Amino acid sequence: MSKYRLYLLISTISIAIFGARMVNGRDIKLTTINILMPAPFADSTSKSIERFNNTHKGNIKIKVTKGPRETESVSDLAISNLLLGNSTYDIILMDVTWLPKYASAGWLMPLDSWFVRKDLKELAPGARLGNRFKNKLYRWPLVADMGLLYWRKDLMSSPPKTPYELIKLTEKLISQGKVKYGYVWQGRQYEGLSCVFLELIEGFGGKWLSKTNEVGLNNKEAKEVASWLRDLIERGITPASVTNFSEPEALQAFKSGEAALMRNWPYAYAELQKEDSNVKNKIGITTMISKKGGETTSTLGSWGFVVLKTSKHPDKAIKVIKFLTSETSQRDLFISYGYTPTKASLYKDKNLLETSPILPELARALEATKPRPETPFYAQLSDILQRELSSILTGQNNVEDAMNNAHSKTVKILRSSGAYR
Amino acid sequence: MNYLLLIPATLLLLLVFGFPLIRYFWLSLHASSVLTGLEPIYNNGANWIRLISDGRFWQDLYQTSRFAVFSVGIEMILALVIALLLNNEWKSKQIYRSITLLPWALPTTIMALSWRWIFNTPYGPIDQILNLIGFNNLNILSNPSLAWVGTVIADVWKTTPFIALILLAGLQTIPVDLYEAFRLEGGSPKQSFLYITLPLLKPYLLLGLIFRLAQAFGVFDLIQVMTGGGPASSTESLAIYSYLNAMRFLDFGYSSTIMLASFMILIFVCLSAYIVTITITNNFRRYKL
Repeated sequence: MSKYRLYLLISTISIAIFGARMVNGRDIKLTTINILMPAPFADSTSKSIERFNNTHKGNIKIKVTKGPRETESVSDLAISNLLLGNSTYDIILMDVTWLPKYASAGWLMPLDSWFVRKDLKELAPGARLGNRFKNKLYRWPLVADMGLLYWRKDLMSSPPKTPYELIKLTEKLISQGKVKYGYVWQGRQYEGLSCVFLELIEGFGGKWLSKTNEVGLNNKEAKEVASWLRDLIERGITPASVTNFSEPEALQAFKSGEAALMRNWPYAYAELQKEDSNVKNKIGITTMISKKGGETTSTLGSWGFVVLKTSKHPDKAIKVIKFLTSETSQRDLFISYGYTPTKASLYKDKNLLETSPILPELARALEATKPRPETPFYAQLSDILQRELSSILTGQNNVEDAMNNAHSKTVKILRSSGAYR
Repeated sequence: MNYLLLIPATLLLLLVFGFPLIRYFWLSLHASSVLTGLEPIYNNGANWIRLISDGRFWQDLYQTSRFAVFSVGIEMILALVIALLLNNEWKSKQIYRSITLLPWALPTTIMALSWRWIFNTPYGPIDQILNLIGFNNLNILSNPSLAWVGTVIADVWKTTPFIALILLAGLQTIPVDLYEAFRLEGGSPKQSFLYITLPLLKPYLLLGLIFRLAQAFGVFDLIQVMTGGGPASSTESLAIYSYLNAMRFLDFGYSSTIMLASFMILIFVCLSAYIVTITITNNFRRYKL
């Protein structure tokens, strides 16, 4: 008798479980939205994502793929995935320079029907840049990012505003023995060098590539920038080893207290305020130096979400993007990780202003941002410029020839692409 | 009938080796880039014409060969020395052997990043030591005429153990009796090295040489991490140039052309290395060293 009961019990339970499963599977559709992000972003957004997954239980689930740390490696991963045709991702968090290339490869979904004028108005002016290509909106910004000039409050009362002031001030500090180096920046042959150059050429009153696709690399201003950078090395204001400096090396020199000025991104501020920093509470931020005729410029380097054309759930993907870029989520990211917000309202937020002394400066820098040339051939243009600048900085070639080379090669690329007469 | 058994292996090889090659060849005859919407369009060998007149390709070919010849050359000599040392009957020789292998076991990117900081000016140990004893900074990775030396040093450090291991395996196959008999006949240690060790080690030397040449010729990760091809493109290798074209510029046609061209050059290099080594070792006895 008891044996019979046991069988009955087991079969009832199994039918119950099995049945429930079937009902479950039929009635509720769980959509998974796959996002590819560089590892640091995946870590910093993990709390917001958990919150989203909890409130949308059984409906939408965000799955994040942690990409590599290095910017271009994330693009490599994304591209290899996209080339296979049916991408596994719905959303990619992308750097500002990739957009024209991805859009002309036909990989991105235009977002105009989901983001209306009101949404755009809520963005800080600098964050509105770099999201469009050929008059279509493809990207929605998560973090604003821009080049900054870091200066030492204990060594100067205000940061230099012109190239001349910078040289005068740093040479004085070096001769007084207060610092070993005057100014450190990114001189390695890589994308950072192009960012350094863009800020200076705009500041000197020139253009790398104008809106009408005119190349300005053989102009007086471009050559002045190159000579000025070379001059910094020759005068010993910048160490000669700058030609293999990327962000970490520059940060290291500035953090150790051996440099008076540094060009870097906003992330460096938090690093410099850590306990192991020799310049804690001694730093200010501002925008890049400029000359008469030019304007102080920050290279735009923001990260934003795009939806891939192959995504089967664009509506839900947009819902995810709107959640992750919302004011609440951006406030969290700024307080916990120092990510520069893209929503204009946050720059006037009293609580944030109290917690962060640099927010007004960041807002000012965001207004001074300019994007790098927005063409699908940007990677080629940047590569040409980096090569030629690197040959100038290392003394392999003179400014005149190298910049003329850069100019003619750039024109050639643009001409073969049909973007140039 | 016996050959039937080779069919599965041959098919597998064709799939993983032949297919990509044919695909590369096909792509190299087409324009396939952002301009064509990533659709391949036949372009009459324009990629190959561009390659021949592309100064950057020839510069990279020179730089890649320089890297390969120097790093593999130094590695072969060092590895032979290390293998001979390790072949001795030492107390706890297993420990030495394991220690020697450590650099080889490290992931390339990690060790390349470490070398980048070792060579860093002014914070790397090399320049700090130079400063201490009163020399100027070397700026090794920031100097276009020196940076490649830095990459060779890192590569030698990393891959010498690999060749040493191959050579050590080879040394252990040589019977000890041979050396004893030779000594009894009045042969000197130098002669026993030249007439016994080297000839019998030939297949292993060749194996190491060809393995390493192929690897060094395709060097990518080490240079990408250490210098990114700079400064002033002085360390850019063919693999980096091809990668730039494919992944950054989305120009798959030209990227395949570079890859295929460097593959053909590599085959040629390996064949010549093979022939040269065989001739040298075969003629040892004639030279009466």
